[in-house]
Amino acid sequence: MAAMLKCVMSGSQVKVFGKAVQALSRISDELWLDPSKKGLALRCVNSSRSAYGCVLFSPVFFQHYQWSALVKMSENELDTTLNLKCKLGMKSILPIFRCLNSLERNIEKCKIFTRSDKCKVVIQFFYRHDLSNAVYSEMFVGSDEFDFFQIGMDTEITFCFKELKGILTFSEATHAPISIYFDFPGKPLALSIDDMLVEANFILATLADESSRASSPQSLCLSQKRKRSDLIKKKAGKNITGQALECISRKAAPRRLYPKETLTNISALENCGSPAMKRANGDVSEVSENSVSNTEEVPGSLCLRKCDAEKNLMEVMPNISVLPDIEQYPPLPRQPEFGVE
Amino acid sequence: MRFRAKIVDGACLNHFTRISNMIAKLAKTCTLRISPDKLNFILCDKLANGGVSMWCELEQENFFNEYQMEGVSAENNEIYLELTSENLSRALKTAQNARALKIKLTNKHFPCLTVSVELLSMSSSSRIVTHDIPIKVIPRKLWKDLQEPVVPDPDFFSFCLPFLRLCKILNLQVIEANLDGELNLKIETELVCVTTHFKDLGNPPLGKCSSGLYFAFVHIDIRKLLQFLAGQQVNPTKALCNIVNNKMVHFDLLHEDVSLQYFIPALS
Repeated sequence: MAAMLKCVMSGSQVKVFGKAVQALSRISDELWLDPSKKGLALRCVNSSRSAYGCVLFSPVFFQHYQWSALVKMSENELDTTLNLKCKLGMKSILPIFRCLNSLERNIEKCKIFTRSDKCKVVIQFFYRHDLSNAVYSEMFVGSDEFDFFQIGMDTEITFCFKELKGILTFSEATHAPISIYFDFPGKPLALSIDDMLVEANFILATLADESSRASSPQSLCLSQKRKRSDLIKKKAGKNITGQALECISRKAAPRRLYPKETLTNISALENCGSPAMKRANGDVSEVSENSVSNTEEVPGSLCLRKCDAEKNLMEVMPNISVLPDIEQYPPLPRQPEFGVE
Repeated sequence: MRFRAKIVDGACLNHFTRISNMIAKLAKTCTLRISPDKLNFILCDKLANGGVSMWCELEQENFFNEYQMEGVSAENNEIYLELTSENLSRALKTAQNARALKIKLTNKHFPCLTVSVELLSMSSSSRIVTHDIPIKVIPRKLWKDLQEPVVPDPDFFSFCLPFLRLCKILNLQVIEANLDGELNLKIETELVCVTTHFKDLGNPPLGKCSSGLYFAFVHIDIRKLLQFLAGQQVNPTKALCNIVNNKMVHFDLLHEDVSLQYFIPALS
């Protein structure tokens, strides 16, 4: 049995907890989580050993407090009990407890969980859903507003709007078109700007698992009858002209939204590093503007680049310069309990 | 209950948006009353509002080119809805330069006021943005608390305020006025007393006045007055101020097609 810690706090408790972390961050760059029957102790000591801090939250501080130590059985029957030894970098944990007033107002509960046999601490924020005052907004953008629009099947994905807004603001400044790639819920959404002067790529995680999404209160607001894809693309100015584009535009007529023929040979965008997953009823893909020039010689084709099923997200967009942290740690699909912003 | 309305005129749309912005500044939550000829934004004088009440009225035919409503019943052909004012003004923000605005009462898992904005777009089809604003339907039995406030016969008088804007830069605590068209705005603290005098304001021959008093006073909370003034985005064409001695001040503003009445009670 591993040593573990599991505790749950309310919004106002999170504020106190966060303040403790902030106070301890002044002492050291490392924080120890030390659970015991007395409660959860946050400890730190500075590098020169001239300052030490310890904040002990008793079990009754939490809405739920559960912990266990690792019991090592030895031959001479002297079992040793090893408490959880969990050290975190302040750099990782401090940003989480930054906007404490906002957390206090908006958080329903916060769960902290770790186990000695896992090398991570999971901190989950569950936001309050104030259904009574939430405004639901929907914008319909016709396919003919896009330079290129090709969707394999009706899709509905959920992602963070705040992140998208930042990207769109940036794209307005560059005056370059954006390409958007997405697949079914859970797979990343990619936005790509690529012109002569600037190249930018943004990858956003999307909420996974449609069936459990249906149970979250927020999705009650989402019109379940919505069938059209919400593909957003800014057309800030065409910088690619020529026959190929016309060909694509013609082919991207609205009727292609509901193709009777399945698009073959088109692979879905894959999760980085995960094995290829083909979908039964046709895959979704979207071709960026920069690949238009590649397909000039085949105007009659579907004008979609054939992507090998095994290729990962990075290879689909060949011009991306090395993004080492993305390649190693691709955005995980957002689980419904992730904490909606 | 049904409500459907449409605005296609750009000027009407902007005007309606400005009204909504003003209401959002004056009242966090308000009641929208829909009747065959008018729309009202109402704030009744509950303790939560600090005793302030508001009655804003617009003639629907000055704004909407399509307007259909069916009240709760034939005898009570009205609809009273409670909503967060800011939700409406934010939804209308997207309506700048829109082709058309539609508002209707819908039920999407819960009652909503659906604001649908048809935007100009580069292609042949329009871009449509829809906002579902959650509302609460106010039951018939509570309507009596949401009627137009009756202005009690002012102890003093009513007079015109052509320079409402000037009040914004002052810290006000006391308003006093007299028959000679003079208005004084005063603030008194332990250390300082500042008075601003307005002269030559008109006295419309409305309201009665007590003969004995030279000045009518009302002592009010500055913040409420400032909040009221902050909500004014356009100079009103006509502004009246009624003072009920030691009881309240009542502002009655007329902006083009909208009338707004705002009541601030005296501090007890």
